Amino acid sequence: MNVSNAMVLSRLAELAGPSHVTNDPAEIATYQIDGKSPAAVVRPASSEEVAEIVKFAAAEKLAIVPTGARTKLGIGMPPRQFDLALDMTRMDRIVAYDPGDLTLSVEPGIPLHKIAGTLAEHRQFLPLAVPFMDRATAGGTIASGVDSPLRQIYGTARDFVLGMEFITGEGIAAKSGGRVVKNVAGYDMHKLMIGALGTLGVITKVNFRTFPLPRAARTCVATFRGPTAACEFRHGIARSALRPQSVEILAAGAGCDPLLGRRAAVSFEDDRWSVVVSFAGDEPVLDRTRRELQGLARGMNQNSLESFTELRANLAENVNRYIADLPAAILEYSPAAAIFKVSALPMDMAGLAADIHGIEVPWLVMMRGLGVTYLALLPPDRSEGSLRVLKQECARIFSLSERAPWGRSVLLWCPSELKREINVWGAPSGDFAQMQKLKSVFDPSGILSPGRFMGGL
Amino acid sequence: MPMDSRLLHDLKKLLGPRGVLHEPEDLMLYEYDGSVEVARPDCVVFPRATAEVVEIVRLASRHKVPLVGRGTGTGLSGGAIARHGGIITSFARMNRIVEIDAENQRATVQPGVVNSDLSVAVEHLGLHFAPDPSSQKACTIGGNVSENSGGPHTLAYGVTVNHVLSLEIVLPSGELMRLGSPALDPPGYDLTGLFVGSEGTFGLVTEITVKLTRNPEAVKTLLAVFDSVDDATETVAEITARGITPAACEMLDGWTIRAVEDYVHAGFPLDCAAILLIEVDGLREVAEAEAKDVADVCALHHAREVRVARDARERDLLWKGRKNAFGAAGRLAPSYYTQDGVIPRTKLPATLRGIGEISKKYGLQIGNVFHAGDGNLHPIILFDERNEQQFRDTIRAGDEIIEFCIQMGGSITGEHGVGMEKDRLMPLLFSEADLDLMRRVRDVFNPTGMLNPGKILPISKGCGEIYVRPRPALAPPSA
Amino acid sequence: MAATGPVSGFSGADKPEYADYSRCVHCGLCLNHCPTYRLWGQEADSPRGRIRQMQLVDEGRLELGEGFVTHIDRCLDCRACETACPSGVEYGKLVEVARAQIEQHYQRSLASRVARDFVYRWLLPHPRRIAAAARVLRVYQRTGLAAFARGTGILKLLGLQDRERLLPKIDTDFFFGDLGRTFPARGPRRARVAFFAGCVAQVTFSELNRATIRVLQANGGEVVVPAGQTCCGALPAHAGVRDVARDLARANFEAFPAIDFDAIVTNAAGCGSTLKEYMHLFPAADPAHEQAAQFTIKIRDVSEFLADLGLTAPLREVPLRVTYQDSCHLAHGQKIREAPRKLIRAVPGVELIEMKLADQCCGSAGVYNVTETEASLELLALKMDSARGTKAQAIVTANPGCILQLRAGAAIHDTGQEVLHVVELLDRALQRA
Repeated sequence: MNVSNAMVLSRLAELAGPSHVTNDPAEIATYQIDGKSPAAVVRPASSEEVAEIVKFAAAEKLAIVPTGARTKLGIGMPPRQFDLALDMTRMDRIVAYDPGDLTLSVEPGIPLHKIAGTLAEHRQFLPLAVPFMDRATAGGTIASGVDSPLRQIYGTARDFVLGMEFITGEGIAAKSGGRVVKNVAGYDMHKLMIGALGTLGVITKVNFRTFPLPRAARTCVATFRGPTAACEFRHGIARSALRPQSVEILAAGAGCDPLLGRRAAVSFEDDRWSVVVSFAGDEPVLDRTRRELQGLARGMNQNSLESFTELRANLAENVNRYIADLPAAILEYSPAAAIFKVSALPMDMAGLAADIHGIEVPWLVMMRGLGVTYLALLPPDRSEGSLRVLKQECARIFSLSERAPWGRSVLLWCPSELKREINVWGAPSGDFAQMQKLKSVFDPSGILSPGRFMGGL
Repeated sequence: MPMDSRLLHDLKKLLGPRGVLHEPEDLMLYEYDGSVEVARPDCVVFPRATAEVVEIVRLASRHKVPLVGRGTGTGLSGGAIARHGGIITSFARMNRIVEIDAENQRATVQPGVVNSDLSVAVEHLGLHFAPDPSSQKACTIGGNVSENSGGPHTLAYGVTVNHVLSLEIVLPSGELMRLGSPALDPPGYDLTGLFVGSEGTFGLVTEITVKLTRNPEAVKTLLAVFDSVDDATETVAEITARGITPAACEMLDGWTIRAVEDYVHAGFPLDCAAILLIEVDGLREVAEAEAKDVADVCALHHAREVRVARDARERDLLWKGRKNAFGAAGRLAPSYYTQDGVIPRTKLPATLRGIGEISKKYGLQIGNVFHAGDGNLHPIILFDERNEQQFRDTIRAGDEIIEFCIQMGGSITGEHGVGMEKDRLMPLLFSEADLDLMRRVRDVFNPTGMLNPGKILPISKGCGEIYVRPRPALAPPSA
Repeated sequence: MAATGPVSGFSGADKPEYADYSRCVHCGLCLNHCPTYRLWGQEADSPRGRIRQMQLVDEGRLELGEGFVTHIDRCLDCRACETACPSGVEYGKLVEVARAQIEQHYQRSLASRVARDFVYRWLLPHPRRIAAAARVLRVYQRTGLAAFARGTGILKLLGLQDRERLLPKIDTDFFFGDLGRTFPARGPRRARVAFFAGCVAQVTFSELNRATIRVLQANGGEVVVPAGQTCCGALPAHAGVRDVARDLARANFEAFPAIDFDAIVTNAAGCGSTLKEYMHLFPAADPAHEQAAQFTIKIRDVSEFLADLGLTAPLREVPLRVTYQDSCHLAHGQKIREAPRKLIRAVPGVELIEMKLADQCCGSAGVYNVTETEASLELLALKMDSARGTKAQAIVTANPGCILQLRAGAAIHDTGQEVLHVVELLDRALQRA
């Protein structure tokens, strides 16, 4: 902080109330990002308070990072400067929920599970099966841009966020979109906020489209030897009339903790690639889907199909949560893990998988059927040697993934040490100049999560 | 304002004499689109390749002349009209499907490709392009991107932005830029998502990569006939409550039904108050079960008849009735004005009553066609443009409908766009701060304002005192 | 200043009327269905643009000059836009009266006037002149003169070699000799019909006419070929030469006492469309309007008539893979699409494969292939591409003009496909019975 701590704290206390500002070392340590702690934490209770705090911060050139449940602060680069953690968890209300309209407005600090509970009363839900979903907030989920296995059928936040309110880096309250499911009035600025890691604005309200909960769901797991057959199975599903809820290919190299596999309801054995397919509907649909999936799996090269099983009901019910939460589990088992998100065209997934196969460090891979791959590298420890190898492998994966046309990687999670040498976002894209200009429109003094995003934004 | 002769010369040198129109008799044919708006460009150019578009933009930029993109000109808010003159860039001759990648379910097209032509081209692969605006047999995908077009099936499948992965654009500087990626989730801000629906104010699109959607195995189209509008709207609510998301759920009121039936002969009953056209699709079992559920709900809410289309032909006929509803209105009056309000779907009954009152107040015939499933209303107001007073009243009535929608928690446009029709209504929905931020966002792409000026954002500050625009293109024949 | 507004560029009778053109709400749905818009992508060459030009001329804002004439001339009058139009604009009617205005008020070049007068006023209305001209042409085609002209490259030099391919082959035995005859039904009589024989068709499609009569007879039709009949007037009407079209219509009212027949049958979609719309030629006040109404009730395209009547004649197998080209004036003009397809499918052994854009004009469009050869050939190339794509052995259609054009297309593009009228296909199946 470039002004006296006391002055800042007293001003923040005025703005948010004294009990909602702290610089207690123990407390601020829990807000650290890659080892960097803020000077203070402030917990606003309203959009107006957020606006005032941001205005003040802009005037004083204080860098702000908005936070929710702090489950995904590891994503992105560490902030160049970190003065205030803007803890949004007091803004946790459901502002409006109209089950008949399938629309929901929430404040950003609301935990996803709380939303799920309310929506379930009306047999509705948000298709956000994301990492840390038992704790994560709506705002953090949107800002971090994490996706869900359910995107197979429901899409991502980009597809079902109807509008937003946010506070710009100048402390101005703005909005775009609306609360209706169809709307083309004005520029969809809220699309920019999704996945922007709080670098363009502080989200103060999110309007969602909700979905009816499926009546029943089941899950099958087909396990193949080698990635090619697993990907072929995925392609077969894509070509069929079936409309599964999720299609996830999971595998792990030697040395990966088998417990992780158990958490995702698959067994991680050498060169075993499991395709977990969940599907929903009435009995006849479920029966037919299972039958046809089995047929497709058997139709692959006979020798490559290892097993085809259906999960028990209690497991099937939660399998998408387990799979979605794998990154969380990985980070718990292996705090030094590096987790990539690799985007590629679906037809290039098999090639990518084959390349992954050759990685030296223990690894775990989770490929969404639509072409998004999560690849975790699991070093045995945090020693200097291990980190050196990890760094080399990371560099290899960046270049590997860019071999396929349109392939791109982001290193979502990794030990802080690596971020000193690697930019987790990879090289800026060709449209980066426009992103820079947008950043300066939304946050002219550069106080919102500075340096956290691609290209130092 | 005549074109700078040097600019004209340069354009002709670039595009050849057949690639440039500048005589008044030609320009008069580019002063309209599908809306009631009108303004004449100074020149129309027809690029055939991206490199030519780049040069056109550079020339326009150098000469500080406004530049407006245009597809087929089917838009309903004046998006493709040169409000402040300048150059219209017609993409009619950039209509090549660049690549169909069936395995990855992607297609890359030039902006002038007609929406339904893409679906026809991939039909044999069992795929289609999901956005299906009523003008899909004529409108271009470039236009769909600019307007973020919807259509009946967007209820289940989403609007254009949900199906666009990547764009190649030309900025006013002449810089060619790729936004997004054919692969999912490219890192960085979602500029593709921002660009779609920017109505030509950010850049000219030269190439589009879209998702292709697998055709459903089975489709069931139901026609439900009601003697009361409330029964129909309650049916829609109950379908939702039962957790069914139909592929489409359309409603036509009695007046519109009679107008349409006269032309399409789809077998719509002439004496009813409303019909619902509901489509469910997916696996055979899903379509069958949901069709049965939907039919039960309709019956429960006093539908006097529920008919399931027996084959593709009957289905096409029902849809033809729906998709031609606007044009059919054209048979009944010299002109019509289609509104495009959105409301939360549960507010349908109240809004319908409101529209009825507005109709009475102005003595104007208003037909109602909705995407009932998503609360997108298309009231059709009939008028005779030779009657100046009636035209003014029509615009006032349209505005009042929109104000009503906003009161209900809705929006001023669901899929037609803001264009030059509703820029003045934007302050009803957005604060000055919102609009100012949008203006600055536009300036990031289009700093001089040369791209499609006078669209989306109101020029004046402050909440718009509603004014009546100049009369539409059609002038009365000389007495 | 005088208070008078601009003066309409149209005057006299037969002009685009406000009530008709204002039905167009410029939605643009027609554009992608218009062959010339698809070719050139210009609003001026689209139905919406052409209607707007009519309106502008009517409002006195656009001169009835070269530009207007060019764009109206370039219209194929295929009426695909009518199929696409949700507002029910009668475009064919509009373009024909626009052409009537051009005919009345626009001075074409001398060469053009001479050619138009020759075809529309001197030749078409007079069967004897048609026959005489045909004999001359036949000499050219049969004496080796044609081969000579082709061989020496003269045609190529003149840029006429494609145009020459579009010329019909003149029959040896003209159909004129059959006028006035009555052909009995085979088996029990199921209908009594009058056959409309056409004009040029009588020297170039005599065999098609005879095949039509055979198929009608075989299915229980007694066929009368009234002697006094003459050209339907489609070509003059499409060209805006409406006085000639009216005279021809009146002559046909006399020749076909409607009351005597169950139907008046034609095998030419272009003629049928004009015959069905004779009312458009006469203002409501004209007594001929009512005559036209009586007359048109009876007009049937042969495929429409046969499909309604139902085929009773036994058909032998014709193993043939065919594709069907919708004749514009059948599909768009008369809204008949299913009947010809139904008849084709009725022939055992025939496999019907639909081509892409089957209902887009082949570029024949009456005399369009002569007046706008380049555009016509471009459209033909697109058509042959679609036809080739079906791998059909034969292209079946419903109008003599289309047959000529498609035959030329099959030759120019070397597709090796035979071109048949629907009734010729039926006739082939009959002959083997």
